[in-house]
Amino acid sequence: MARMKFLCDAERCIECNGCVTACKNEHEVPWGVNRRRVVTLNDGLPGEKSISVACMHCSDAPCMAVCPVDCFYKTSEGVVLHDKDLCIGCGYCFYACPFGAPQFPQDGAFGMRGKMDKCTFCAGGPEADNSPEEFKKYGRNRLSEGKLPACAEMCSTKALLGGDADVVADIYRNRVLKRGKGAEVWGWGTAYGKPEKGATPPAGAKS
Amino acid sequence: MQVGMRQWLCAGLAALAFVFTMPAFAADASSGQDQAARQQSQPGNNAPVWRDVRSGDNKYQTTQVRGVESSVLMQPEGETWRQVRNNLVTIYGGWLLVAIMAIIGGFYYWKGPIKLHEKPTGRQLLRFGSWDRMVHWGAAISFILLSVTGTIILFGKHIVLPVVGFTLFSWLATLSKYIHNFVGPVFAFCVVLMFVTFVKDNFPKAHDLKWLAKFGGLVSGEHVPSGRFNAGEKVWFWLGVTLLGLVVSVTGFILNFPNFEQGRELMQIANVIHAISAVLFLTMGLSHIYLGTVGVEGAYDAMRTGYVDETWAKEHHEYWYRDAVAQQKSGGGATNPAAASSMKEGWKQ
Ligand code: HEM
Ligand code: SF4
Ligand code: SF4
Repeated sequence: MARMKFLCDAERCIECNGCVTACKNEHEVPWGVNRRRVVTLNDGLPGEKSISVACMHCSDAPCMAVCPVDCFYKTSEGVVLHDKDLCIGCGYCFYACPFGAPQFPQDGAFGMRGKMDKCTFCAGGPEADNSPEEFKKYGRNRLSEGKLPACAEMCSTKALLGGDADVVADIYRNRVLKRGKGAEVWGWGTAYGKPEKGATPPAGAKS
Repeated sequence: MQVGMRQWLCAGLAALAFVFTMPAFAADASSGQDQAARQQSQPGNNAPVWRDVRSGDNKYQTTQVRGVESSVLMQPEGETWRQVRNNLVTIYGGWLLVAIMAIIGGFYYWKGPIKLHEKPTGRQLLRFGSWDRMVHWGAAISFILLSVTGTIILFGKHIVLPVVGFTLFSWLATLSKYIHNFVGPVFAFCVVLMFVTFVKDNFPKAHDLKWLAKFGGLVSGEHVPSGRFNAGEKVWFWLGVTLLGLVVSVTGFILNFPNFEQGRELMQIANVIHAISAVLFLTMGLSHIYLGTVGVEGAYDAMRTGYVDETWAKEHHEYWYRDAVAQQKSGGGATNPAAASSMKEGWKQ
């Protein structure tokens, strides 16, 4: 089975924030929560680079490891999902995540952050595929419809790639060969550098 | 990670030594210029950019998304925190708690409770007035609530979840988190009251050294005189209530109010210090609770009713006993509320 991964090509990203907008629109993410963001390095200087980042769906995911209620699970395609019914909003996943992916809807005085929200690789959550409950909590489940993540599909320069890791890596390799520079696959070492862990897909919700 | 780990442990130790400072990871503010220069000399070499991604301190690093550190692309310290919390804190902390419970259980099995040697006189002495007891029970009840709920947050995943299942455990953890986060500030307030109320009888005296050298006769059964509080209680007062109470409260407040948008590194360090001091606090607290309840006959009644028998006072806190009796005599019964009510109590029996 395919292993899903994101790859952002810093040589191509033009900081248009199309992916951010596509994500917010697709999933009707609440105000204040952004599952994806674009970060620009050396903004306004020669050599400026931009990178779009969201949950990378790590192979040995730190968020999964620290969650005190163990509410994360990994699909057979390597997508890291979580169960909002179990989440207690402690923020530990946010402290552990290398990419700052977990988000919280509330301001958090007395630790009242609300349920954590993050990129699902457009794969929904533990509820039945494409059910209204799933949409309300996690947004659209495009993967179950055979579609790839909306952000990558929408990317105007095809800087952001999301899908089967082998295909994504092949595309990138070809690009690097043709242009002869920009070979750094940003974030892959951190996200996928360790052996896969926790890929035991539960059939439905954890309960 | 390699850089992180050592600095991290140092940071933890430093803070436990009461120095609460943030280790600032080297900021590389000039790397924007670095890359500009590199573009001239070696077009296509992006190394300075990738260094920025890791350090996250570049002032030219921007994003349109608002949020805590949203312009930081990557924070490798998260992985270090995970290792420290999940391994060092959870495993060693967990075994430390198991060990202290085994030691206390073993001691109880071996020695049993410490009983009075002589008959109670029936005459009562006031040991803790109503203010003393109110402050103590405020601190004690909030301490127990925080200990139970904190333990569930830290160890529950390994010991409770497998037994009760995901749904029930999530409930329990939610409840624990609410209790912990709202009782925490109450406890912090009680720590201040505890300090103010009991500090006057906790200053170290010369005879405390003798008490410590003989470990209070806890093992030998020998009588070692002490003031109102013995050296063991003074250690608990200074290292436990005061020092650990303060450390746990300060770090707890940092964790409790993420609405001030503290960075993740501060949260990680606060969490590790909080959890380590909480485990140490619990270790001392369990010993204190044991000695205050089943371990020493009559100790619990002292804190419940406020009164102790004169025999108890003589056998456990001889210097205090002498002072209290002398004061009672010189002060005259009626003007001294302690003496007045103790006479009443004594008469009742
Ligand atoms: C008797 C004193 C206390 C004990 C034994 C204790 C214990 C603990 C433990 C074991 C944890 C879990 C750490 C982890 O999972 O890594 C924790 C977390 C926490 N503690 Fe405490 N704690 C105490 C006092 C306090 C106080 C005074 C405050 C606040 C003023 C506080 C606020 C917090 C917060 C905010 C968390 C994070 C948990 C969350 O928000 O979900 N604690 N504590
Ligand atoms: S990127 Fe963050 S949230 Fe996503 S799997 Fe990795 S650690 Fe978890
Ligand atoms: S915020 Fe929710 S998902 Fe994240 S670690 Fe806490 S309980 Fe788990």
